[in-house]
Amino acid sequence: MRERIAGGYDNFVIPFMIGIIFLLVYLFIGLIRILKHVPGEDRKRLFLSFVNPKIIIKDLRDIICDCLLHVKIFKRNILLGYMHASIAFGWFMLIVIGHIEVALFVPQRNGSLYYPVFYRFFVAEQNYTLKGAFFFFLMDFFLLIVLGGVGLAMYKRVRSIAMGMRRTTKPCFADRVALYCLWSIFPLRLLAEGFTAGISGGSFLTKPVNMLFANFFGNDLNIYPTWWAYSIALGLFFLAMPFSRYMHIPTEVLLIVMRNAGLKVTRPRKGFAEAEIYSCSSCGICLDACPMNVQKKNINYSSVYFIRFLRRHNTRKINEIADKCLMCGKCVVLCPVGVESCNIKMAQRGTVTEKLPYDYSYLQEIHAPVKEKKEKVLYFAGCMTHLTPSIIKSMQKIFEAAGEDYYFADSDGGLCCGRPLMMAGKKEAAKELIKKNSELFMASGCETIVLSCPICLRVFKEEYRLPGIKLLHHTQYIDSLIKEGRISVNKDDTSFVYHDPCELGRGCKIYDEPRNVVAALGELRHASKEKKESICCGGSVGSLTLNFDDRAKITRESIKALTVENPDKIITACPLCLKTFSDQSMVPVNDIAEAVAEKIA
Amino acid sequence: MNKNVMVIGGGPCGLEASAQLHKMGYNVILIEKEKQLGGHLAKWDRLFPEGIEAKEVLQPLVDNINGVKYFLDTEVVSINLLDKEYNVILSNGITVLSKAVLMTSGFDLFPAEKKEEYGYGIYDRVITNADLEKFFATGKDPRVVENPKRIGFVHCVGSRDEKAGNRYCSKVCCATAVKQACEMKALFPDAEIFCFYMDLRMFGRGYEDMYLKAQKDYGIRFIRGRVSEVSETLEKQVLVKAEDTLSGKPLKVTLDLLVLMAGMQNAKSGIRIGEMISMKRSDDGFFTTKGSILSLQECDKAGIFYAGACTGPKTLPDTLNEARAAAVSIHNYFNKEN
Repeated sequence: MRERIAGGYDNFVIPFMIGIIFLLVYLFIGLIRILKHVPGEDRKRLFLSFVNPKIIIKDLRDIICDCLLHVKIFKRNILLGYMHASIAFGWFMLIVIGHIEVALFVPQRNGSLYYPVFYRFFVAEQNYTLKGAFFFFLMDFFLLIVLGGVGLAMYKRVRSIAMGMRRTTKPCFADRVALYCLWSIFPLRLLAEGFTAGISGGSFLTKPVNMLFANFFGNDLNIYPTWWAYSIALGLFFLAMPFSRYMHIPTEVLLIVMRNAGLKVTRPRKGFAEAEIYSCSSCGICLDACPMNVQKKNINYSSVYFIRFLRRHNTRKINEIADKCLMCGKCVVLCPVGVESCNIKMAQRGTVTEKLPYDYSYLQEIHAPVKEKKEKVLYFAGCMTHLTPSIIKSMQKIFEAAGEDYYFADSDGGLCCGRPLMMAGKKEAAKELIKKNSELFMASGCETIVLSCPICLRVFKEEYRLPGIKLLHHTQYIDSLIKEGRISVNKDDTSFVYHDPCELGRGCKIYDEPRNVVAALGELRHASKEKKESICCGGSVGSLTLNFDDRAKITRESIKALTVENPDKIITACPLCLKTFSDQSMVPVNDIAEAVAEKIA
Repeated sequence: MNKNVMVIGGGPCGLEASAQLHKMGYNVILIEKEKQLGGHLAKWDRLFPEGIEAKEVLQPLVDNINGVKYFLDTEVVSINLLDKEYNVILSNGITVLSKAVLMTSGFDLFPAEKKEEYGYGIYDRVITNADLEKFFATGKDPRVVENPKRIGFVHCVGSRDEKAGNRYCSKVCCATAVKQACEMKALFPDAEIFCFYMDLRMFGRGYEDMYLKAQKDYGIRFIRGRVSEVSETLEKQVLVKAEDTLSGKPLKVTLDLLVLMAGMQNAKSGIRIGEMISMKRSDDGFFTTKGSILSLQECDKAGIFYAGACTGPKTLPDTLNEARAAAVSIHNYFNKEN
């Protein structure tokens, strides 16, 4: 083990040093900027999370699983997952082992930025010593893994469907520069280390390269050009990184830490949102996920482009996409980084709508009704359900059959739950309704609220503070009635398919109870996309500007996915889905409550 | 030479067109899918603006087709173009070779149960304009209580409503609502009657007078604002929520009867035939005419002609005029070909 180059420096490290110093300064300034824009309360929460062992463990686990191993992408497509994991984890290991080698063998170079990266150039080692052979092998092994990943990445550019992606994003200029640098870094590293393997040593990969090329080129003159090229590729990659999608590599770590500390989006472009925006890897999984992309139309309304426009400060486009989005949340649950683009869009809408005047002074005149009885169960239908009265009738029948002593809170119409206002960005206005509704519910003395509308349920769960009150969607309530034997239903051979409404499935994570109920009525068939991949019905109140024709296309697409196994009936659990599907479906559509009420024994 | 003309649809439009073509010397074959002639007119009691009995209009139309071959309870099984003639196979087994085919397939009423928030088919006290005409004619409908105290009419049900899929105005419902409101007031003088409207489109001769009379003589209350939702009270009455957009206030009223003014849409039976030879339809679902002003009776496929509500909502006089115009167009078509 000896240093080959006295002083441990050579000019070829300059491009790398320029790149890495620029990147580190950029990241440092970015970090300060984000922290500055985070509300004081959140900043405190973030710092406190660093001393909370539970959160630290979660941080570490998430960073390893998401940033290095890409477990989420593995679950989606094994090949795509392997591609990401091999590059990320392989590269990470190359860096770590490089540092270990420096620390073990040339401790005087500790702290140098370039030394671990170009270790093979500076240090000569004999591969027949045990220590040397071990590290040579490890380095070559991980280099091979990364090279495999890079090969897959190149193949993906040509044929993305092989990795389960129908569409990929169009890279911008900085993306291309960074992409081609990234592709060339590792082959160049192989060449560079291969050329020096004769002097500095190597293993199963670098040695054969060395022998092969020595036959062609003979002398060691080719050493310098390849090390320069390797250094330039690295430097360029780091220079392009802040302006490219690869900014997600460092930012994702920050996002994970901030998210685990419990931070939320408050402003559309600054603070936590900025961490989300730069964590987007532009992978394009959201392109296939977005229901607006049926028939390749409206592809530009996907979250990935929304975020790209946010990075470019293109206000017109940002507003256009923010207003169009259906808020179905499919891109959020499928996003491998977990960018909560719906929240950013709502905050963006707020920049326009929060200024609009509103007057809820009439809320003061509303008082909780004086009740003779103190019913423990309260039924809140919600305004959407009042537009589909057959659901209310069915629920009344079910309550009666179960012998439930319940109170119908909004039989005469109630206050809006606030979710539509939240989705329109009018957070302050929504808070007034939420406050009033909470007061009314707390005054009622109930223990359980049964809701028929998933839109209400979601905001009740996320924004209401109702201590001591259990919130149940009617699918959950009916499921418990059947399980406890309080109602019984006549099962027959009708076949059903269940549609997961966005707000109930992805919004409240309720997937199993409705399926239990449907299975109790007849045969449960599958849709081609279901559970968290379920397609929005097209009727969402989330979009402010999507026109009826485009909505109708989404509805047809959703119905197509539901009816692949030719069910006799489509069952849904949201009044809005019911209305939307009923207009277009050839197969009869029912709410789960209607289907149960019909077959109650 | 074969002077066959196939007329599809035996409503007032088909009847009038058949009678005219027959007089001109054509060999008319008229088919009707129902068991009786007259279409919607046969199910209607009285007509606006004067309140003439529908029978008085329908009877002469039926009498006039003397000599025309017509088939009831008959549908088109297939239609296709053979050389220059249409080969139409009918469900009664007859095949007609005809140089001209006239579509008088008319309209369907918008299915009011699609606007579920109005509760048609769910609540006991909600009926449609067609149900009310039947009640006028027969005096029987279990949904109409003995002495209704309050009655509401909802205009534009399935018309001018993008969410219901129909953006257009159905043209006749405003006048029908005013007519029916007055008739109800005459039947139940003690009842309070409300009409919930967006605009009142009193475009025809005598319509405006009818509307003024409804306010002055019958005391009908017109409320500008769409009904948002309808619910049921314990007494099985209907509770209607709407906004009075003139006073800017929300409004709640309990009614004993709610009448929904279902609009028009292109008849399903007509669309089915249209699809067999791909006749073009516009965004609103009605058939596309060759021109929008000069050639309203022609399809861009030679030999296919239109008359009546299959090309958009129309009043009865408009429809009858179109029937005559179509007869002339067909006559010109035959002459040109010779």
